[in-house]
Amino acid sequence: MSYSRALTLAFFLGPAMTLVILFFVLPVIVTLYASFTDLRNWNIQRGLTEFVGTYNYEILGYMAFNNPKVKYAVITTIVFVAATLFINVVGGLTLAILTFFLEERVSTGYRLLWLLPRMTPVAVYSLLWYYFFHSSDLGTLNKVLLSLGLISEPIDWKLWHLPVGTWMILVFVNGLVGVSFGMIVFYSAIKSLPWEYIAAARVDGAGNLTLVRRIILPQLRWHLVFVTVWQLLSLLTTYAHIFLLYQWGTIDRLWGQTWSLFVFTTAFLGDQRQGLAAAAATVLVAIGAVLGLITLRIMGFQRLVTRPRGEL
Amino acid sequence: MAQELAHAGISWRLKLVIALALLLASTPVLMTYTMLMLSSFSKEIVTDPLLRDFEPTLENWVIFLTGQLTYAAAGLRYNVVELVASTAIVALGVALVATVSSMLAAYSLSRMDFKGRRVTLAGLILLHAFPGVAMIIGVYIIYIALGNLTGLQGSVAYTMLYVILARAALEVPMATWLFKGFFDKIPWEIEWSALVDGASRITVWRKILVPMIKPGIAAVLIFTFLAGWEEFVYLWVFLKPRGVDSLPTFIDEVVASAEYYQLTIVAAAGTFYLLPTIIFFIVTQRLLLEAYSGGLKG
Repeated sequence: MSYSRALTLAFFLGPAMTLVILFFVLPVIVTLYASFTDLRNWNIQRGLTEFVGTYNYEILGYMAFNNPKVKYAVITTIVFVAATLFINVVGGLTLAILTFFLEERVSTGYRLLWLLPRMTPVAVYSLLWYYFFHSSDLGTLNKVLLSLGLISEPIDWKLWHLPVGTWMILVFVNGLVGVSFGMIVFYSAIKSLPWEYIAAARVDGAGNLTLVRRIILPQLRWHLVFVTVWQLLSLLTTYAHIFLLYQWGTIDRLWGQTWSLFVFTTAFLGDQRQGLAAAAATVLVAIGAVLGLITLRIMGFQRLVTRPRGEL
Repeated sequence: MAQELAHAGISWRLKLVIALALLLASTPVLMTYTMLMLSSFSKEIVTDPLLRDFEPTLENWVIFLTGQLTYAAAGLRYNVVELVASTAIVALGVALVATVSSMLAAYSLSRMDFKGRRVTLAGLILLHAFPGVAMIIGVYIIYIALGNLTGLQGSVAYTMLYVILARAALEVPMATWLFKGFFDKIPWEIEWSALVDGASRITVWRKILVPMIKPGIAAVLIFTFLAGWEEFVYLWVFLKPRGVDSLPTFIDEVVASAEYYQLTIVAAAGTFYLLPTIIFFIVTQRLLLEAYSGGLKG
């Protein structure tokens, strides 16, 4: 590569690369490093030089079985991720198929509406459900059930059959955000199906259900895998909405804590044990890396990176 | 084409059923957003879907927009101008930094063949999949280390700049993929003729390609602006401890001690905070759906 070519490349790639290295690569290395230290209270001069080996990981492993906070976090994460994932994938698929059958204008309207939760500021979106699930008769859910005569006094939803109530809130709030991802991927995949398939099916007299079952769904199998893996990854790492509901008392503090929220609260609230939090975060990174690699394979990476045609 | 053919076999009655079923499913979302907005114009917070608790008043907006919110019981004071300005500065900064750097990077990834191109592309997808919570610990450690090194520790300007850069970085992978899609669509011949005439790649990029992807620039600017605008965690972690309040941290703090406060003013703040999102939503609806699916497909 000639000097001027290298300079040109640096001009184009430089800024993005700097950002990526400074705020993606370096932080991950630093986190990994910190997970082997006893960093507390952000005292990095002292903390980062105090090596404790694999102590944080051992503690974490011990706590996962003996400390309610960590133990519940593991259980909650599994339940939360599995339930929300199911809702996201099935819901997204249903929305995509249903809107595909509708007139363009109506279909666009609905798809936009379902995209709204994803685009809404985190604090506002959480605020909506804070009111909805409020434990007094101020809460919308309580209000509706009271006026229907289904309950006689307001229910504190986070404590309802603990931990079921808290889990329901978690799944509901995050499920609504996640559904749009599947919807968009599936919808554009259905739209780009070869029209001959559908024409042939129609000529053979296929009804709507047959069309969905025999033509559309089989064509979407790779998209299904992709959406599932990608959403799994997002759900494992999401915490912003959950953190607000946690702070506002909409969910139970013990049972409402997922693994990623545990990482966040351990680092930034209470004990402020960043070494321990970093170890818990590293576990997430490892899972994320594996899932990410799987996604790359599924996306048919070779196809995406074909060489530029006209390189001089 | 596929869609028309699929439609051909559907009766209007089935379409009506589908549309109504979707409407029913969308009710909780429609309802909660409507009630929040109405609450901001009401004396009491509106949580009744039949809106029986709606008592119209403009008072919340007057209090919110005149700018000084005091919660004597908890000793809190807020300057609304500060809340809005800090939120907006972060959002604008994120939009500009992410858009410009991604537009540059995407060009070379779309048009230049170099060693490491494949790895870079693969890396971008992997980065998108990275757990944000894992990084924020590292990002905070670097923030402290850099602050100590430069003697800027605790400075608001340094913190603001750091938040903008760190948050913008999170948008770079997605924005780069979006831009790459736009660049890929431009016929290579257009660029080639200019290059043959002796123009440099930078000139070609600036004078020929950038004007051709204006819709893409608009889309990415909007996306990254909204990403910065909706952010909560970075503002809470970095700016709040340095005494800089923003719309999301205001909402968070007031709701966290809800017993003492007038929630209707929070509803006004929330509605105000939601406005840019709604406006961009209505204005750019097509672009939004297309860019989203384009970005996801790569």
